[in-house]
Amino acid sequence: MAQAIAPVEPVQTWRRFLTQETIVTVIVGLIVAVAVILPLITLVVSSFLVLDDLGFDTEWGLENYILLYTDRVIPKAIFNTFIISSGTMILATFLGVSLAWINARTNCPWADYLEPYNLIPFFLSPFVGAIAWHNLASPRIGLLNVWYRDFFGAEGYLLNVDNLWGVIWVTGLFFTPLVYLFVIGSLRRMDPSLEDSARTTGAGLLRTTLTITLPLVTPAILSGAIIVFVTSAGEFGVPFKLAAPYGWETLTTQIFTKAVGDDANHYLGATMSMVLGVITVILIWVQRVYIAPRSYTTVTGKGFRPNVLDLGKWKWVAFGFNLSYIFVAVVLPIFCLFIVSLHPVWTAEIIPSDMSMNNYVKTLFWWREDSIRAATDGIINSFILAFSGASIAMVLALVVSYMIHRTKGFGSKVLDILCVIPIGFPGIVLAMGVLVTYIQTPIYATLWILLLGYITRFFPYGQRNIASIMLAISEELDQSSRMSGATWFTTLRRITIPLLKPGIFAGWVLLFVIFLRELSISIILYSTGTETISVGVYYLANFENEALTSALSMTQTVVLLICIYIFRRVAGKEALSA
Amino acid sequence: MNTEDKNYLVVDQLVKWFGSDRAVNGISFSIEKGSFLTLLGPSGCGKTTTLMSIAGLHAIDAGEIRVGDTIYTSREKKIFLPPEKRDIGMVFQSYAIWPHMTVKQNVAYPLEIRKLHADEIDERVNKVLELVGLSEMAEKLATQLSGGQQQRTALARAIVSNPRLLLFDEPLSNLDLKLREQMRVELKRIQNEVGITSIYVTHDQSEALVMSDEIIVMSKGRIEQRDPPLAVYSKPVNEYVSQFIGVANLLKGKVLSEAESGKGKVDISTSITGLSCDCLLSSEMKKGDEVVVSVRPENVSVSRDNTDSSGIEGKVNAAIFMGNCVDCRITSGSYEWKVLTHPRENLNEGDRVFLHLDPEHTLAVTP
Ligand SMILES: Nc1ncnc2c1ncn2[C@@H]1O[C@H](COP(=O)(O)OP(=O)(O)OP(=O)(O)O)[C@@H](O)[C@H]1O
Ligand SMILES: [Mg+2]
Repeated sequence: MAQAIAPVEPVQTWRRFLTQETIVTVIVGLIVAVAVILPLITLVVSSFLVLDDLGFDTEWGLENYILLYTDRVIPKAIFNTFIISSGTMILATFLGVSLAWINARTNCPWADYLEPYNLIPFFLSPFVGAIAWHNLASPRIGLLNVWYRDFFGAEGYLLNVDNLWGVIWVTGLFFTPLVYLFVIGSLRRMDPSLEDSARTTGAGLLRTTLTITLPLVTPAILSGAIIVFVTSAGEFGVPFKLAAPYGWETLTTQIFTKAVGDDANHYLGATMSMVLGVITVILIWVQRVYIAPRSYTTVTGKGFRPNVLDLGKWKWVAFGFNLSYIFVAVVLPIFCLFIVSLHPVWTAEIIPSDMSMNNYVKTLFWWREDSIRAATDGIINSFILAFSGASIAMVLALVVSYMIHRTKGFGSKVLDILCVIPIGFPGIVLAMGVLVTYIQTPIYATLWILLLGYITRFFPYGQRNIASIMLAISEELDQSSRMSGATWFTTLRRITIPLLKPGIFAGWVLLFVIFLRELSISIILYSTGTETISVGVYYLANFENEALTSALSMTQTVVLLICIYIFRRVAGKEALSA
Repeated sequence: MNTEDKNYLVVDQLVKWFGSDRAVNGISFSIEKGSFLTLLGPSGCGKTTTLMSIAGLHAIDAGEIRVGDTIYTSREKKIFLPPEKRDIGMVFQSYAIWPHMTVKQNVAYPLEIRKLHADEIDERVNKVLELVGLSEMAEKLATQLSGGQQQRTALARAIVSNPRLLLFDEPLSNLDLKLREQMRVELKRIQNEVGITSIYVTHDQSEALVMSDEIIVMSKGRIEQRDPPLAVYSKPVNEYVSQFIGVANLLKGKVLSEAESGKGKVDISTSITGLSCDCLLSSEMKKGDEVVVSVRPENVSVSRDNTDSSGIEGKVNAAIFMGNCVDCRITSGSYEWKVLTHPRENLNEGDRVFLHLDPEHTLAVTP
């Protein structure tokens, strides 16, 4: 069996290094690093720059930070933000946990049909929700208050959402699905014998729920609660609509006034963004390091279905509760938007004879003379941004996931961290970073800067979508392709991507939806001509009337609902739990 | 022993439906106090369903279950005692150790429910942890335990309150072979020590043979046979049991004649041309009945020459040396026998041999 072994030609090191794989890896790694790191560094640096009295020159100093507690408005804004976040967290956690429990663990009727509707607010725009609730329950022109006065002949009003409570109410309704998703996954994956064994040792139903079930889902509840706290602290649209005009400033509304407008001060804006950013980073870190690892999802490999509790007559109460949530979070606001949008101006009175589609004509038909540019441009720009943004982000996400989970080199660790940073990071903070970074460059005031902001902030969502599938399919499938002689690129094209296709498409639609409703980044980075739908809504709300605003809001909502429908068809039921 | 103790647990005509299939199809049995009964059967035959019905983890569709004079559940009398009122201990296949509690907290839980005094809880928990050999692990979290240790914790938790009944659902199936064999003995020792009436579910026949006082063999939601391990092995009542437990040579046949004291002659010419054999018949077998003759491999003896010309001629097809025995495949006609021989017989592939059946160990069973 002696065989002459041909002497191996020593390959030059730089040649060996220059493979398809490393080239793509390095390039993408650099792009991601620059996109994520640069705005953050600039943000930190800018926060230490102090604008002089004339507003032309800057010098280094801590004055911006001192202003955080000496300023007339900012300390109050920080306090209000804290109140809103805490309140929203409590409301969303209460709703999310109870809805998840009803759906996963009780014999609530038609739970399978309710489930998708519970998730709808997750995809819609909270800003639009705030506009709808303003029209439903503001003291003077709120539809519910008008009906209350008509029916009971009463004076005054029943509900008032134009304050911090209103912000908490609307944000809480919209962020309930965040908690719901965390908790329902945990409830469904729990091994039912954990509860069964408590029952057999003599614990009653209540005791089992309190001492076994609840502690086991606590990590999921805490995770959801923290995410809600952070997300609502960074939420701009709702406080902008319901709180700021009535004297309740928040951090986000303050950042907004410092970023645009007459008394713009980007450096002070950056400092306030730092506050929000630091809070976020700390809380997200706590969630990831202390809470997520404690989630006891016991996977025993045995297929099981969770214990279902027979509520008896109470199941109708549970059903009613769930239906009420869908009603106040989805049906009522959309109904109100639609009614208001049909009137030439909203006078808090439904006048059937006045109803027309005129507002839709003005906001949709961009070729007409009387169309409102901010709205019509916004629609076109949003579609351009959503389409190209989702596509670029998914390509990036694919390559990055591949590098993190398949290459496993030095770069993969760094990339993994880079991808975690933007997750949960308030859009408005990132937008401030992007703004101060690129304000001097030609991309400022173009769609490119918006695109950059969108992708940086949201591509990790797509990345996680892909990564979860990539982790589930065996690496050996890839490796055997390489064994059969395919190059790295061919393997990616012929094996990896086809396997990931459903995940890629689901991620794409998800990003498309997010981009179509994006407000906090757009509001900082837009300029005349580069409005988006949400900016259009903001413009109409500020400079036109409620009826026109509602028409554009309604349009956005309908488009989003269609996307949700497609997303569900493509991604299937389980897609969101990842 | 009075009848009360003899029929400690009674399961009477138990039926459980899942949608349109009957998972348990009217089974009845009773257990003597303090004994160890095993439900044995292939996957999906309704063992877990039976156990869950006894534990009260689901409602039943017909029948009655009682322990002593307490009715646990009865469809007819519309009684359903919730699981926490039944005073049972249960060990699950996944162990179901609560991951948010330490070993000690897990084991103390049943006693806390029973509102015992803290000192007593402490004492009993320590005692039972010692019994299962986990005293050193008491303060560890469940997630830090190995499979075997989780198993012991689950057992400790099940027996700590000294329940009326102990239920096991395939508790050893997640362990590797070595540990499984060791835990079998251990489990049995502990059960003996505490003396709690136990029902054990498994699909592993050797586990059942080693541990049980009695075995119930189930298939498709019904009971096939109930007997002590030796009887289940040596006197299977039908073809199903004889091939499920251990290995058997099964030959289709017809009863030719009945002799006194349960003996008789069976024609097995459909399997091996022109052959009939003497075997044990059960009382209800009559001349002309279709039966299956079952012979264990270790009960077939082999000789080189056919001195009394009663042997069945065959040819060694394969001889696999197993250490303490040689597992042979011997063909006679179209039938292939499984035979265990002693290594000193020194059989080799291709040898011509003669097989002899001992009428005392040749059994006619119903097909
Ligand atoms: N929750 C359920 N819903 C519907 N069918 C079920 C359910 N649980 C069990 N079954 C069915 O009832 C039958 C008996 O199941 P059971 O779990 O009692 O089997 P088993 O003997 O314990 O099997 P294994 O050895 O695999 O655990 C099976 O056919 C199974 O498919
Ligand atoms: Mg089972």
